[in-house]
Amino acid sequence: MATVGARPRYRGGSYKARSVKSRALLYGLVAVVALWLIGPFIWLLITSVSYQRNLLARPLPFVPPEVTLENYRMILGLVRFHAEGQAAKILPSMLNTLIVASVVTIVNLVVGTTAGYAYARFRFPLKTFSLFALLFTRMLPTIVLIPAFFVMFRALGLQNTLAGLVVAYCSFTLPFTVWIMKAYFETVPADLDKSALVDGCNRLQAYWRVVLPVSGPGLVAGGAFTFMLCWNEFVVAQVLNTKPGTTTLPPVIAAMNGQVNVDYSVIAASGFLGALPAVLLVLIFQKYMVQGLTAGSVKG
Amino acid sequence: MAVPRFGLRAVRLSEASFARLLVAPAILAIVAVVAIPLAYSLWLSFTDVNLLRGGGAAIEMFGMRLPLYRWVGLKNYLQVFSDPLYWDSLWRTLYFVGAFVIEATLVGLGVALVLNERFPGRPLMRSLLLVPWSLSRIVVGLLWIGILDFEFGAFNGYMQRLGLLTGSVAFFKDGFSALNVLVSVYMWNQAPFATLLFLAGMQSISEDLYAAAEVDGAGYWQRFRYVTLSALRPILFLVLVLCTVNGFLMLDLIYILTMGGPANETTTISWLGFQTSFAFFKFGPGTAILYTLTGLCLLLTFIYHRLILARFEPEA
Repeated sequence: MATVGARPRYRGGSYKARSVKSRALLYGLVAVVALWLIGPFIWLLITSVSYQRNLLARPLPFVPPEVTLENYRMILGLVRFHAEGQAAKILPSMLNTLIVASVVTIVNLVVGTTAGYAYARFRFPLKTFSLFALLFTRMLPTIVLIPAFFVMFRALGLQNTLAGLVVAYCSFTLPFTVWIMKAYFETVPADLDKSALVDGCNRLQAYWRVVLPVSGPGLVAGGAFTFMLCWNEFVVAQVLNTKPGTTTLPPVIAAMNGQVNVDYSVIAASGFLGALPAVLLVLIFQKYMVQGLTAGSVKG
Repeated sequence: MAVPRFGLRAVRLSEASFARLLVAPAILAIVAVVAIPLAYSLWLSFTDVNLLRGGGAAIEMFGMRLPLYRWVGLKNYLQVFSDPLYWDSLWRTLYFVGAFVIEATLVGLGVALVLNERFPGRPLMRSLLLVPWSLSRIVVGLLWIGILDFEFGAFNGYMQRLGLLTGSVAFFKDGFSALNVLVSVYMWNQAPFATLLFLAGMQSISEDLYAAAEVDGAGYWQRFRYVTLSALRPILFLVLVLCTVNGFLMLDLIYILTMGGPANETTTISWLGFQTSFAFFKFGPGTAILYTLTGLCLLLTFIYHRLILARFEPEA
């Protein structure tokens, strides 16, 4: 792209210095967007460190009059309260979620990346057909598979196991990962592989020793996205792992919300705690995720 | 280029067989965890599933016994199609999807236009964009309860405080209002992804086009219409399709916010299928309902494939 001299990259709007009025309008809009994006999540944080009585107070104070960690103490089992049985499930279910999400991510990166590479580089029989099938599985409602998983897992003894969840989660993550990695490898110059082949590598070495080491950003994008999907998944875990102690965090938080007489502030604390790992993960790797996901989507 | 030695011998493989070798694990895994369950679900939708009954025909292999149940032909489908609740849910789903697609696309595009401008703190704003999208829908539902609740919700509290409202708004009491709340909450969760796609598209528009338009005397809206929007057309289409599919599949927000109520007035096809299957354990009619949903998705994928892939990746 021809970028002339020191002229800054144009991002829309006017080249001329903005008038005061349009500047004010822009900042106003930015403030509205910021409030819309982050306000609700901030409010979740505020409610989670408030007492319920202050949330019920009318008129509602603009600044929370009291800040407390009592709600977090409750859900972490440090304080006894009437719903402590439900609260005691939070940490173990978080560990379950971590295990399932990590294993699914590793499987996806190993299996999905090699396939994505092949789709990006080579022509082979049934390529078009299998790509279409992949696209279809990406669009497939996971929920239609769950009755089948339910009966099959009973037959296989995978019901109420983390292994069962890993299998079920691969059904909606793997097509995504292949697609994202295919799009990523298309941005890696094919000359890299070619020169490796000329230098005496075989094809596997060219992939493993030359292409993969420079594909960190793509792997991070695919991996973080898979982990996020698994961390947040609700329906599959809710239906397949009903035995206490075998499920993941989202069903436990939902059950917390379903309990009678649990203050919203306590539920908010469990929600905030549960959301934090995925939000931090996405914010840390945001640069790669945005690149990986937009490339993967724009290409189809 | 010096290449480190690798344990494998330099096996000579043709390009196609090497590619097949690389693709095989993923394809096998997808067959195992998607294709087989999909086929089995289809089978279940034509049978009289009774989860308590173990006997009868079954596929036995690898030491497992997969029951086949009794074939009943189209009975489940006919039962589903004769239920007025199914049709009510279908029309409601179409309303939900339509409203969601419009809201998510317009808001996504509007936010992208704002974030595409130059202002201090723009990278930070782009990071914030990922927050609503990275939350579990269970948490999304929870935090909107904190805002919209009749008793302790921040919306009612602050609107009264500012004197803009005298009573409290009960967002979930009326079915139509609850449905629209679901649309907007889901939009809050999904529109940021549309914004990401739009922003990516806007950045690939050549600045010369804007400069030329400006020389020709085009104002902001004309530049938006003739330069930005026409260049974004493929992405706009992509966003429309992704939103449509996501709209049809939405389920977890209904679970946390309305449970399909009041009086089934927020029951969509996916919720009806979910309830029939897993609240009443009627897997036959349940899978039949879910299969009609799958049919819609296949149709959309086909359209998507024809219009997007065929146009932009002719040889893929």
